[in-house]
Amino acid sequence: MNPRAWVTAIRDALRSMTRSSLMSLASIATVAVSLMVLAAVLLLALNLDFMAASVESEVEVKAYLCAVEDTDATCNQQELTENQKKLIVEDVRKISGVKEVTFVSRDEALKQLSEEFGEQKDILEGLDGENPLRDSLEIQALDVQQVPAIAEAVSKMTGVSDVNYGQDYVNTLMAFTRAIRFGGVGLVLMLIVATVLTISNTIRLSVYARRREIGIMKLVGATDWYIRRPFMMEGILLGVFGALVAMGLTGYGYSKVVVYLNQKIPFWPVVRPEQVLMNQTLGLVVLGAVLGAVGSLISLRRFLKV
Amino acid sequence: MIQFVNVTKTYPNAHAPSLNGINLSIGRGEFVFVVGPSGAGKSTLMKLLYREELPSSGKVLLDGKDISRLRDGDVPYLRRQLGVIFQDFKLLPERTVFENVAFALECTDVSRREILRRVPASLELVGLRHKTHSRASELSGGEQQRVAVARAIVRNPVLVVADEPTGNLDPENSWAIMKLLTDINKMGATVVVATHAKNIVNDLKKRVIAIERGKVARDEERGTYGYES
Repeated sequence: MNPRAWVTAIRDALRSMTRSSLMSLASIATVAVSLMVLAAVLLLALNLDFMAASVESEVEVKAYLCAVEDTDATCNQQELTENQKKLIVEDVRKISGVKEVTFVSRDEALKQLSEEFGEQKDILEGLDGENPLRDSLEIQALDVQQVPAIAEAVSKMTGVSDVNYGQDYVNTLMAFTRAIRFGGVGLVLMLIVATVLTISNTIRLSVYARRREIGIMKLVGATDWYIRRPFMMEGILLGVFGALVAMGLTGYGYSKVVVYLNQKIPFWPVVRPEQVLMNQTLGLVVLGAVLGAVGSLISLRRFLKV
Repeated sequence: MIQFVNVTKTYPNAHAPSLNGINLSIGRGEFVFVVGPSGAGKSTLMKLLYREELPSSGKVLLDGKDISRLRDGDVPYLRRQLGVIFQDFKLLPERTVFENVAFALECTDVSRREILRRVPASLELVGLRHKTHSRASELSGGEQQRVAVARAIVRNPVLVVADEPTGNLDPENSWAIMKLLTDINKMGATVVVATHAKNIVNDLKKRVIAIERGKVARDEERGTYGYES
């Protein structure tokens, strides 16, 4: 197919879009809204995955040692002596699969926390110099597979009040991600149907506006595809413009959210915009083009009997 | 070149056939007038030629090929060998004269260079070279029909079909158009013209086929119009 024919088709498509500009805007807006919701769902899912991954990759078990306030069975409402703490560390080292054990005193823990809060560290001033944290052990496993077993063993030891490891969060996150995906996909599918129908309706109007021209084209021997080309192109352009609007807004919004989150909750793991927006834009533009093509083909099949 | 073999055409919901058992043969290079009262079936005959309509029964042969059995996808290629002219011109009013003529070439993927060579030549022939860049809607009726003729012949068709080409024109313009059609005929194209232009038919003394109530009533070499008006 020669390139000039495509140039003509694009020119005709743009001409037709400006002629029925209100309808075209409506289509572009519908495409944009649908794809924006899709983009938002994707970004949310990506971030949840990212969070899950960053928690999961911590092959670390955190064991909190008993403090005076603790009333559980393994604690005796007594402060552990330095010697007892050392012994616990020794015992944990002996558990198979443990790579490294670091003792973090409650004072160090508070200091770390205030660093993580960054500019927000004045929140901690509300504590009035009290330290609510526990002494803890950071236990590195050789392999992420062994983490649950290690956690289990450590939790049974005397002097250990509580054990935490990533899998708990991961499971919750996964369930949440699934729910978001499921709901999101349903919503997006409905919006996609609406998008295709709107585009197809717009194309139908533009076929109607040019029916005389189409008749003449047929009489002078234009092939069906020659006649369809500008309408297909119009559908594709509506889809692509809609996708670009959607990604412009989503990209802007997401960047703002990320900046905000970074300021307010600095340790929250978020996917950086530059990591995803390029690919997403590309994906949505292609999707927009496909929706546009499908929408116009539906119309052409029904209203362009040639 | 053209053969109608027992062609009958009945439109859906019509109580009588528009054409009823037509048998005709038109040779290559002929010039033929098709005359007859309104509603006699002239237009239907024309539409069968450029395959706007299909016969209900019988065959329409063009160079020995039955065009009524053409696949839909092949219809455009048939029409590219024809030039069709209508009473209402069927131009694109918003486009220029050049664009209207070039249109017939563009939608058949002819190269730009070829278009730039052939469109002016075609406009020259119909005497509208000086109107090349005028909008079609700015032209008079006679000029518009000449643009339509230019569009019909720009592809050097073997057959030109004109359905009442002078129906909307004054006598002077009618003569100009008919003159053009006879010129095209002299250059080698077969020309079939359905018309009510009594004086022109009588003066030109070409073959005349008269259609009445769906049948061939007369078929005369060097014939006359034969009706009162």
